[in-house]
Amino acid sequence: MGLLGLLWSLANLVVAYFFVTGAFVAKTAAKEGILAQLSLLLGGVLIAGFAILLARECARMLTSADASGTA
Amino acid sequence: MRIVTWILVAAGLVLAGVGVSSAVGQAGSGAQPWGNELSDNFVFIKALPFVLGLGVAVGLLMARTYGAKVRSDGAIRRWSRGTVVGHAVLTLGFILALPTGMWQYLGGILDVNLPIPLYLFYRVHYIGASIVLFAATAFVSYLSMTGDRSLLVPRGQWGRHLLGLAYELPEKVRTPYAKLLRVDLTQPRPPTGQFTFYERVVEFPSWSILLVLITVTGLIKAGRYLLPVPGTVLWLSSTLHVAAMVAIVVKLLDHLRYTLPRWPLVASITSGWVNERYARLRHPGWAQVSGGTAAGRRANGESSGSAAAGALGGSDT
Repeated sequence: MGLLGLLWSLANLVVAYFFVTGAFVAKTAAKEGILAQLSLLLGGVLIAGFAILLARECARMLTSADASGTA
Repeated sequence: MRIVTWILVAAGLVLAGVGVSSAVGQAGSGAQPWGNELSDNFVFIKALPFVLGLGVAVGLLMARTYGAKVRSDGAIRRWSRGTVVGHAVLTLGFILALPTGMWQYLGGILDVNLPIPLYLFYRVHYIGASIVLFAATAFVSYLSMTGDRSLLVPRGQWGRHLLGLAYELPEKVRTPYAKLLRVDLTQPRPPTGQFTFYERVVEFPSWSILLVLITVTGLIKAGRYLLPVPGTVLWLSSTLHVAAMVAIVVKLLDHLRYTLPRWPLVASITSGWVNERYARLRHPGWAQVSGGTAAGRRANGESSGSAAAGALGGSDT
C-alpha cells in the first residue's frame, strides 16, 4: 500500500508540475490574467506540498511497520 | 418494512433505467442538431432526476444496515454495510470524474490535445459525476433516516475537540495551532472516541463542504443549456468548480496521508469492522462504551446494538 501511495504522490507531482509551469508559460492563463496565473501557481504548490507529505508518510510506512499516532 | 424498501429500490432502478435509456434514445435519434458533447450534456441532465431518486431509495436500504454491533471476537463495527458500499461507490465516481475533469482543465490551459476525442472525456466525466451524485443523495437519505450525527462535532463540544485535535497534531505544529486557536494545552488529552478528533474537525467537514461545492457548481454548469443561467453565475460556478476540483485533489492526498498509516481504519471502510485491540489502543473512549455495552449484550446473549451505544457515541455510521 505504501508503494501505491508513493505512485499516487508521483502522479500528483506531475500534475503539480503542469500547474506551476502553466502559471508562467501557458498562453491561455496569461490571456485570462494574473489571477488565473496565481490560481494555477497556488494550486500547483498545494498539490506538490501535500503530495510530498503523502510520499514522506508512505516512505515511512515502507521502512517501519509502526503506525503513527499523530495527525 | 424491509420488503417495502426493496420494492422502492427496484422501482427506482426500473425508473432510472427507463429514464436514462429514453434520454439516450432522444439524443441518439438524430432529430436534434447536437454534437457529441451537447448530446451527452442533455443525457446527463435529463437522467439526473432518476439518478437522484434512485439514490434516495438506496439510502433507505442503506439505513436498514445501521446499528452498533460487536462480534464474538470483540471486533467493533465502525461503519455500517450501507456506509461501506456508499463509500466504495463514491470512490468509483471520483476515480472516473476527477482525472477526466483534470484533463479537461489542464488540456485547455496547456492547449494540448490527445488523440482521444475530447467528448469521450466529458462522457466519462458525466458518468463519474452521476455516480457521485447518486452516492451523495444516498448518503443524505441514509443520514436523514438514521438521524446519525456521529461524524459531526456535537453542539458545545468544539473546545474539547480542538483540544483533542491539538494532541493529535505533530509537536512542531501543536504549539502554534494552540496559540492561534487559544487552546489550553495544560488541560489533559480527552480520550479518542469512535472517530479521531482530526476526522471530526478536519476530515468530515472538509469533504462535506467540497462535495456540496463541486456538485452544486457542476449542476449549474451542466444545466446551462436547459435553463437560463446569468453569465456572472456561470463564470463563478466554473471558477469554483475548478477550485473545488483542485481542493479535492489536495484533500484526497491528505486523506491518504492520514488513513494509510492507520491500516485498521482503511480495512474498516472495506469490512466495517475494527478489531478490539486497535479500538482499545487508538479509540479508548469508543472501545470503553462499545466494549461495555457488548459485555452486557454478550451476557444477555444478544449480538446487535442498542440505543445506549449510539447515545454514548458507540454507534456505527
